[in-house]
Amino acid sequence: MRSSKQQEQILIDEIIVDREKAGLKRKITQIGNTLTFEFKRNLRNFIIMLVVFASVFFLLLLISELQLAQDVALPSDPVDYVGGYLTQFFGFLIIISASLFGGSIIVEDFKKQTGNLLFPKISKTRLLIGRLTSRYTLNAICVSFYYILISIVTYTKYSEIPITLWASLGWALLYTFTILTFVTFMSSIMRSTSATIIVSILFLLIVFNIVMMILRFAGLTMEPLFLLTYYEGIISGSLSMPNPRFAEIMMPTPGGGDPVLFTQWLTPTEPAALIGMLIYASLFLVLAYLIYQRRQSKSE
Amino acid sequence: MNKSNQEVLIQFRNLTRKFGDFYAVKNINLEIKRGEIVGFLGPNGAGKSTAMKMMALLLDPTEGEIWIRGNGELQKLTRKNKDYLLDNLGFLIENPAFYGDLSPRTILNYFAKLKGYPKDKINDRIEDVLKFLGLEAWIDKKIKTFSKGMRQKIGIASAIIHDPDIIVLDEPQTGLDPKARKEVRDFILELKQMGKTIFLSSHLLYEISEVADRVAIIHQGRLIAFDTLDNLEAKTKKSIINFELLNTEDKNQKEFLEKTKSLVHPLTGIEKDLSWVKYNEDTGVFQMIFDGDPLNQLKILRVLIDNGFKVIEFSVPKAGLLEDLFIELTTPEVK
Repeated sequence: MRSSKQQEQILIDEIIVDREKAGLKRKITQIGNTLTFEFKRNLRNFIIMLVVFASVFFLLLLISELQLAQDVALPSDPVDYVGGYLTQFFGFLIIISASLFGGSIIVEDFKKQTGNLLFPKISKTRLLIGRLTSRYTLNAICVSFYYILISIVTYTKYSEIPITLWASLGWALLYTFTILTFVTFMSSIMRSTSATIIVSILFLLIVFNIVMMILRFAGLTMEPLFLLTYYEGIISGSLSMPNPRFAEIMMPTPGGGDPVLFTQWLTPTEPAALIGMLIYASLFLVLAYLIYQRRQSKSE
Repeated sequence: MNKSNQEVLIQFRNLTRKFGDFYAVKNINLEIKRGEIVGFLGPNGAGKSTAMKMMALLLDPTEGEIWIRGNGELQKLTRKNKDYLLDNLGFLIENPAFYGDLSPRTILNYFAKLKGYPKDKINDRIEDVLKFLGLEAWIDKKIKTFSKGMRQKIGIASAIIHDPDIIVLDEPQTGLDPKARKEVRDFILELKQMGKTIFLSSHLLYEISEVADRVAIIHQGRLIAFDTLDNLEAKTKKSIINFELLNTEDKNQKEFLEKTKSLVHPLTGIEKDLSWVKYNEDTGVFQMIFDGDPLNQLKILRVLIDNGFKVIEFSVPKAGLLEDLFIELTTPEVK
């Protein structure tokens, strides 16, 4: 627009919008707004995971009912019955759901450039707090839903619910959070959401287990507190503490050698589990946060 | 409240950003006044987006400062006062993707809340903004069903949803078809009518020339010119004339061209070695360079008519001028 008019002094109407002032209250509100927004965004994943948790539960229930139909008696102790739902696929479910909810948590801002829309409006710290809280909440609801199903069925069969089931729920929620922080960390270093999900699941389901196996074959008998997935053991282990913390098992060696006696660690103690998972979660969160901040000034 | 258009709202002071040893932006000084549209022009990789990202504090300046008017006075932008100073700015930086499963209403509602827009007015504001952009029928549709042009409009909506006074648009027309480009251009002009101050980057010369009050030309990270188009034209003393003739047959073009050259050359105000006249066979338009003097422009028109040329179109296109200026300013040999 070539115009000499703009050189003259003219008066312009200034529109006054009564926006909420920037400050602590706004910062807290922004976290709340992010929380609500993320609930909406993750609604589909949430429904999918609820269905998955329910499906796994009903399949295990079906197996249990088929056994009953074949005159296999119910365990006399409800704790043993409950344990049947928490030992087999439950750890796998937690890993899958945490990966699904957390896979995009950081990486999407760079992959899709949604960060260019968001970062001028909200700081990364607040965004991360809001996102992590909302996704953890949805994840925790899925886990709790699974426990509620267990408790209902247990009550119908035994007319009681073992009190340790709720302790186990507490450990499951803490373990879920720890896994979610691991996925968040992976999301901060990966280049896409799908890669984050795949690599996280690979690490949690395969790499850590292989490491544990290598240690076993190397003859190390120390408790593997440094392995994140080892803490999963406390979820079922806490049902009847003090549990046997480890078992001696005969396992064939790879390559067809003679079976060898190994020490297999089953569960950490409660204090060790609490401290270990908190250390892990803190470490992953701090690393993810620092990388997220660094990515702000380098990758964009 | 009325404010003067001479009031500076944004100031870059020696703004510099280095990536390793590479200067993406080097010592840029410019200021944007209230109510004006400043076009930020440069080729891809010139440093436009880097400068705009520094405004949004998506990147920290390596050296220099950005000052933004807040609460009546210019204040240096820092991480500490970012929330407060950037409240009055709306950004559309590069081509952001949106969350495809959500509707414009949901996304804009979130953005408006983040910026503290009054909650009881958000819904009305979203409807107004989408109506302004011609997307009111799409307000509750999922964004993944939108065309590229519609998504770009949602990008503009996200920049203006909290009703900022200053709007920063980074390449808002890139990748759009001509119709969508015109629509975006019209929105920009309407925003100016509303009293908004607009900082608009583009490598599309025409888009800038159609809307900008002042043009900042950036090349290899350096600001090489910043002025109104009129003043830039006066400085370079060069401009372009386009003209068309009635019923010109192709076989006569060469003859017309030679005759035109000999007739207009003494009137262009340009040295003989630098003077030229061209004919575009595809468009049927003749083009010539002259010194931008309106008197010479008139003389050229008169001499063509007096010599029997049936001139049906005779104009000085702004985009052509800007293109010429741009080449003039960014090519060392020409400079």
